[in-house]
Amino acid sequence: MTTAVHQRLDCGIDFAAEPMPDRPTVSFNIRFRSGAAYEPADRLGVARLVQHTVSKGTAEHDGRGLSDAFDAMGIQRASGTGRETITFRCTCLPEFVDGAIDLYAEMLRTPTFPDDACRVARELSLQELTALEDNPMDLARKLINAQAYGCRLGRDPLGTAETLAHIDRAQIESYWADALAANRMQVAVAGPVDAGEFGDKFESAFARFGRDGDDAREPIPLGFAPASKHHPKDQEQDYIMICWPGVPMDDPAEPVERVMVRVLSGGMSGRLFTEVREKQGLVYWVGAWVARPRGWGMIHIGASTTPERCDKTYATLLREIDRLAEDLTEDELRRAVAGIASRSEREADLTQARAEDLGDDLMYFGRPIPVAEKLAKVRAVTVEDIGRYLASHPRDRLSVLALGPKPLGG
Amino acid sequence: MALDDNPFTEAVLANGLRIVMEVMPSVRSAAAGFLVKAGSRDETPELAGVSHFLEHMCFKGTHKRDWQQISIAFDEMGSYYNAFTSKEWTFYFGWVPADQIDRQIELLADMMRSALPGEEFDVEKGVILEEIAMSKDSIESLAWDLVHERMCPGHPLGWPTLGTEQSIKALTRDQMAGYYRERYSPSNIALVATGRIDPDRIVATARRVCGDWPAVDVSGRREPPTLQGGTVVQQAKRFNQQAVGSVFAAPPAGHPDAEVARALARVLGGENSRFFWDIIQKGLAPRAEAYWLGYADCGMMMLDGLCLPDKAEPFCEALEREADKITQNGASDDEIQRVKNRRRTGLAVEAEAAYHRLLQVAEDLCDYDRPRTVTERLADVQAVTADRVAKYLTDWPIVNGGLFLSLGPRNWPEARVP
Repeated sequence: MTTAVHQRLDCGIDFAAEPMPDRPTVSFNIRFRSGAAYEPADRLGVARLVQHTVSKGTAEHDGRGLSDAFDAMGIQRASGTGRETITFRCTCLPEFVDGAIDLYAEMLRTPTFPDDACRVARELSLQELTALEDNPMDLARKLINAQAYGCRLGRDPLGTAETLAHIDRAQIESYWADALAANRMQVAVAGPVDAGEFGDKFESAFARFGRDGDDAREPIPLGFAPASKHHPKDQEQDYIMICWPGVPMDDPAEPVERVMVRVLSGGMSGRLFTEVREKQGLVYWVGAWVARPRGWGMIHIGASTTPERCDKTYATLLREIDRLAEDLTEDELRRAVAGIASRSEREADLTQARAEDLGDDLMYFGRPIPVAEKLAKVRAVTVEDIGRYLASHPRDRLSVLALGPKPLGG
Repeated sequence: MALDDNPFTEAVLANGLRIVMEVMPSVRSAAAGFLVKAGSRDETPELAGVSHFLEHMCFKGTHKRDWQQISIAFDEMGSYYNAFTSKEWTFYFGWVPADQIDRQIELLADMMRSALPGEEFDVEKGVILEEIAMSKDSIESLAWDLVHERMCPGHPLGWPTLGTEQSIKALTRDQMAGYYRERYSPSNIALVATGRIDPDRIVATARRVCGDWPAVDVSGRREPPTLQGGTVVQQAKRFNQQAVGSVFAAPPAGHPDAEVARALARVLGGENSRFFWDIIQKGLAPRAEAYWLGYADCGMMMLDGLCLPDKAEPFCEALEREADKITQNGASDDEIQRVKNRRRTGLAVEAEAAYHRLLQVAEDLCDYDRPRTVTERLADVQAVTADRVAKYLTDWPIVNGGLFLSLGPRNWPEARVP
């Protein structure tokens, strides 16, 4: 594996590259620290509207023309808005990299925000809010985020019907002008590229892009408070969500926590799958995961089950959280570490996965971290480390939610 | 890396087990899977859901390992693993660091000789019933099942892969064992391996762990279904969206027009498509899609989406208008070329990973009964022309006839003439 290159470009972009000379594709991602948490409180949903409307017309192309120009090079595009970032992802054949950068620069620097496109984007966001009501798992995730993360990090990128109703073209353009700028931007690339040339290309394409305002590097406050709520809904299953604060990505205990969560939910031998599904047949879906906004960490557990099994499932989940501190074995630890290490090895050939990992490093550490360095920390985790982590991070403050016909304990 | 540097090696064991391998010298991982010709279309009404339930049971114990030992073995080798059951196939697979591939194949092979442990059968039944409950909360799943039920009435292709609550509750272990003995004959299974592998070693491993599997006769499949059109309206008040669309007969998997069907679906639906610009970007619906489903002896072209109930009329009119337009005027060369360009990049991405190639080779075995190289797949894509799309639309029309579906809170249309 080639060593990654890191540079702060003169224009303000944080840039990292991992040359992978023998790969057939190039992947890069552009992230702006401009996600939902940065929106004005009365314009929730506007970041996502910017993400959707920048591609609907530029100084050079109308929306179809721009899409056609991307397609002429066969560029695979994706974009998304999260709580902290708006991200644009690109994968292309190596001969089209320069053309792809030019098009992204045109799209991000010179959007025209046609009236119709802004109106439709807002209308589609409202429709997506309705669609979310038909997707219980996503709805439960949205609700636990709102309940557990506080007023800024707990926002849903879709916004609300109330705020969307008041967002017009001028406000979309205004958010773009305020929040999309080179000093809030990071670029990570992996594939058969010359890192210097790639960086130079971005430098010239994004020179003097945007206002030189807040670079949004400071973590956003988390507003966690213990809670337990039931959201009644007419459906077959109840969705149970539990979460509690963990550690941030740059905390020395992060590798310990990562291994611990994998003990809970890494593969079929993970404790949750074993105890809730395999031994008792209570659920089809159960899992644990970690979300890490910059400066914070949040551990989640989720499961869905029919109402008559709800309380037993919930009790088992709580028991498994507690049991981590009681009887963790060396074998479980070894499997959890093997799973993390194996994933790195499997994905080492994939430009998309490498670019994404590099982007995470820029986001959390401000520089690329060698995979070997990260894995060494994971491999060094011991059963005793997890015991110490659990003693110093007691799970005595839970945020709990049930979505479905039956309240927990009801 | 040239896209065609992926030669295949094939072997067949004495008991009929077929082995298909693709060496990928430039990757560091390897993947393997057992592809079983067993799906819900092989079921009788009283066995509805047994193929999928059986897939779960293969993780629940063999004559060498109990379920916990199976789970632990997968996770010890750092495998990314799973299994899925479709209407025609069941596939069990794992993706591992290259030095673990022999262990991975040995474990998967052991699972193919499941003990179907009786004590686990009832526990797993609970899991299946939860999966069925989960699917009932999904309007997409309900629409999918409804389309198949009405397009293939009385035919096993029309039955839900999960089975029904009633069929699963009534299913016995003995019934499953009978189905399993026949469908999991080695002559009905292929072992696929891709990535950084040594074919000789894979064959040797397969001979060691699969060579003693007894071959039994496997019954053939029933005749193809006669696809039915018409109108199906089903009211489901607890949903907030209306699932609407039309489904038309299309070529089966492996048909010479299969890639044309795919291209047509991508001109109509997806990124930078007609539906995207003329339906979604008109604000009619957040989802409007076109996709082709190829089964062994029939196919379906689905033009559908989800919309707010009060937009169902204009949304359906727009879907029909786009189908009319492309039928009358065809697709442009530029549209076809854009689809090809995107597919070319997609195939290059897929060629980067042993796991992606494993799924592609398995798909080709299902559709063509042989693997295709990335280059061959790309050549089939490149051979699509606007003229071929026009001919397709004559041979496989997407206007008039077909099945019209409306599922959601509105009882609409109350009486629609197909």
